[in-house]
Amino acid sequence: MASVTLSGLRKEYGDLTAVDGLDLDVDDGELLCLLGPSGCGKSTTLRMLGGLETPTDGDVHIGDEPVTDQPPYERNTSMVFQSWALFPRKSVIENVAFGLKMDGVSEDERRERAREMLDVVEMGEFVDHDPTDLSGGQKQRVALARSLAIEPDVLLLDEPLSNLDKRLREQMQLELRNIHDAVETTFVHVTHDQNEAFTLADSIAIMHDGDIEQIGAPREVYDDPVSLFIEEFLGDTNLVDATVAEVTETGVIADTAFDTEVDVRTGDAAVAQGDGLSVSFRPEELDVERVEGTDGDGASAVTGEITDVLYRGSTVRFYVDLGGEHLFFEQSVGADTAFSAGDVVRVSWDPDDLLAFAADGARVGRGET
Amino acid sequence: MAGSESMFAWLGERIKGRDSRNVFLIAPLAAFELAFFVIPFLILVRMSLNASAQAGPYQPGFTLGAYRAVFASDLYRQLVAFSFELGVAATVISVFLALFYAYAAYRADGLRKSLLLFSIILPLLTTLVVKTYAWRPLLAPRGVLNDVLLGLGVIGSPIQFAPGIVGTVIGQVYIVFPYAVLSIYSVLSTMDWDTVEAARDLGASRPRSFLEVVVPEALPGIAVATVVSFAWSVGAYAAPSQLGSGAQTTFAMEIESLMLTQFDYPTGAALSLLMLAAMLVVSLGVLRLLTGSIGGVEGV
Repeated sequence: MASVTLSGLRKEYGDLTAVDGLDLDVDDGELLCLLGPSGCGKSTTLRMLGGLETPTDGDVHIGDEPVTDQPPYERNTSMVFQSWALFPRKSVIENVAFGLKMDGVSEDERRERAREMLDVVEMGEFVDHDPTDLSGGQKQRVALARSLAIEPDVLLLDEPLSNLDKRLREQMQLELRNIHDAVETTFVHVTHDQNEAFTLADSIAIMHDGDIEQIGAPREVYDDPVSLFIEEFLGDTNLVDATVAEVTETGVIADTAFDTEVDVRTGDAAVAQGDGLSVSFRPEELDVERVEGTDGDGASAVTGEITDVLYRGSTVRFYVDLGGEHLFFEQSVGADTAFSAGDVVRVSWDPDDLLAFAADGARVGRGET
Repeated sequence: MAGSESMFAWLGERIKGRDSRNVFLIAPLAAFELAFFVIPFLILVRMSLNASAQAGPYQPGFTLGAYRAVFASDLYRQLVAFSFELGVAATVISVFLALFYAYAAYRADGLRKSLLLFSIILPLLTTLVVKTYAWRPLLAPRGVLNDVLLGLGVIGSPIQFAPGIVGTVIGQVYIVFPYAVLSIYSVLSTMDWDTVEAARDLGASRPRSFLEVVVPEALPGIAVATVVSFAWSVGAYAAPSQLGSGAQTTFAMEIESLMLTQFDYPTGAALSLLMLAAMLVVSLGVLRLLTGSIGGVEGV
């Protein structure tokens, strides 16, 4: 159990910069998710933490100890690989006992401790099995037990759930959470799946182009994204191009692509008339009702016709045509107000729920709403 | 007519059947094996039971005289002993080197990987005799290797690597090395590199992770490499005859002499069959020993 500090961490492969001067602090016992699209440098960061890659520049501290130049076998971190990487010629219990064997723990003791670990991950009945005969979920549990058996200061998880099917993945997310609470070890979990990060994490660090773009508690990051990148990455949303028509006391009046001027509460952020904005209308913040005519249009409502209805399992997504521009919103299957294509609806929202982003992607008026 | 019709019908039925389709597919190979392996082998067995003769290659008959002659002869015992020693030496050296070479090829990528693999395939495109012979100017008393060693002052006077035992072993290792590398590489190439990283991550040093993960993974390849190298090296002919002196005579060279110079067919045949049996037993033993430990539960 230990905290982790990365400072000015860089990794270059020839001309390619995978990690670009990254700083990160992980608290003792925290479960941190490194979240980002593929190629953002999150796995490279994790591998430098585990000693499997040497940083081009920067430092890694585990606890107070500098470990930047330590090989993986000298630092007390343990990695759960995406491929699980179980030793195919060793039985399940040999796999789990491997780290203890390397530490010189006696045979009886390591067998007993490996068995206990297998019980923790509910694989107690598979001790003498050949790992190649196990299912994906079972391999994943054995890999987890193998890494936890050495009681690492920091457990590193490199997308270990991404090869599992959806149901098993969701079940394992909860179990990982429980195991984290039980073993009280610092976890750093890499994933590209924002739902997984929201389910698991104490805090989320979202990576973009080799650096951390935003870090915080899941709720905090979701409610208060710092940039357009984060807003787009965290979930599907309606992004509408707009131009600042007028600067007001509470923010701006923006002329949107669907020809309606809407209030955006950007506070006293530095924007000028004529600036381009991207305004995010999150689907869950939209209120929709069936109407006759287009009377209700205004600063926080528009009227349009439903053009497409998309069934997406438990939810239905509706697209509303607003003169060429579309907004979508979602409802649970079986909700009372089922709309159908051709219905004319009024879409309204609370101006406080709109998020505006400048042309360079930075959030406008963050902390003002 | 009725007979031939029913015969065709029977044949048609057989061809349609799944089992018999396999029989038809395998028929050309079976015919080839029969003509060029089984029948010559039976002729060899029959020949070994004839009696040796003063005039002519053999005296027709049924006797175990040739076998008795082989067992009674000290010379043959020495030849067989030397053949096995050469086989063990060449096998141990080539498999040991091949394991590291195959691992290096597995770890390399891009141009380096291609070069490592290509330089292993390249010697296979040359005939055995030519490439064995090519070692002579390198290993001769006034050859390249001696010049280099003398020039560097490592040795004071030339060493006769070839003809001699050193040249013979080098030549034989050179012959079997590519096959050993390819056997091991083909198995290693399917290894998940993550498992080696996992071992290091769990506290295994580099040599330890090689022993704990790479070697067990390569074991089926090592078994094949061992059997191929051993069977070929025990029956060595080209390397000892071109790079050896008279002291490096293998049983294969003696059989050639019995057949083509001494015209003693029965003794040559008997020696062949006895060595074939001996190598079969040893090869199966080695294979069993090496593959028996695969999947077996090692000490935890």
